[in-house]
Amino acid sequence: MPKWFTPVAVMCGAMLAASPLVIASADYESTMGLVQKIFYYHMPSAWMFLIAAMVCGVASIRFLATGDPRHDRTALAAGELLVVFGLITLVTGPLWARKAWGTFWIWDARTTSSLVSWMIGCAYLILRRYGGPGSEKLAAALALFGMANVPFIYISVNYWRTIHPATTVVPKLPFTMGFPLWFCVTTFALLFVVLLKLRVRVEEQQAQVDALYLSLDER
Amino acid sequence: MKMLKRWCAVLSLVLACGVFSVAAQQPSPQPQPQPSQQNNDWIPINQLPPQEQMAAAPLLIGAYVFVLVVLFAYVFRVARRLQSVQQELDRLGSTLKQGGRA
Repeated sequence: MPKWFTPVAVMCGAMLAASPLVIASADYESTMGLVQKIFYYHMPSAWMFLIAAMVCGVASIRFLATGDPRHDRTALAAGELLVVFGLITLVTGPLWARKAWGTFWIWDARTTSSLVSWMIGCAYLILRRYGGPGSEKLAAALALFGMANVPFIYISVNYWRTIHPATTVVPKLPFTMGFPLWFCVTTFALLFVVLLKLRVRVEEQQAQVDALYLSLDER
Repeated sequence: MKMLKRWCAVLSLVLACGVFSVAAQQPSPQPQPQPSQQNNDWIPINQLPPQEQMAAAPLLIGAYVFVLVVLFAYVFRVARRLQSVQQELDRLGSTLKQGGRA
């Protein structure tokens, strides 16, 4: 592991442990009250979900262009994180919506496109797991669709009629709500980097094991 | 086969959650109170009578517990996998060394 990994992992763990205290100190939103505090985990996980889709897509393009297995390993690691952070986003959002909107789910542009993106991530992992030899390139092509969906998810609230908050909400937050939000965004970003590195490391070790088995077979 | 069973279990869980959420959206048959003359348009949610208000704490706690459980489960799974691959790598390395000496 690189030298930066352990300090970053320790800092990430400490920030994750401290995050409930930071969130508890945030002001209450006037109309939604207590349930609005789900926002401090929901939005950072949604951002990491979109970043994971972008990383998976970019790494897949580089893999298709160069054939370098390092990019394929990065794409696979990001694909898993896409599913993990997507699951968190798609579960915490409805729990918040149940109180704020009166219903768990609305088929508006953002929720529907997020669900589609998460399902593309699941399809990517299933294809990698059960696709057999040569499924890497097919899965990489699938990841491009997942990445193409990201800008649509982000801008959907500004262009389609929805009760989802617009993208202009975050810059207007007062410091007492903005600080906990950016604290959680930093925590989730560090967590994303740590988990991505850890998952890529597993794939690197697995590639070494496969190479050793091949060399044993050749003897 | 074991992984396939696991995926099937995950998909069934997702489907069960979907069915539950649809069922939860069905309005329960309760007698509707007659709207009064003063308040026949809408009532702000914080002025609802206590029996009609929904508690926020279970939803908030549920969301935070879910996030932490998912993250810890994923970290645990990746750490275990890394450990097992590392052990296999060490075992194969020593096998190759012994083969080289022989």
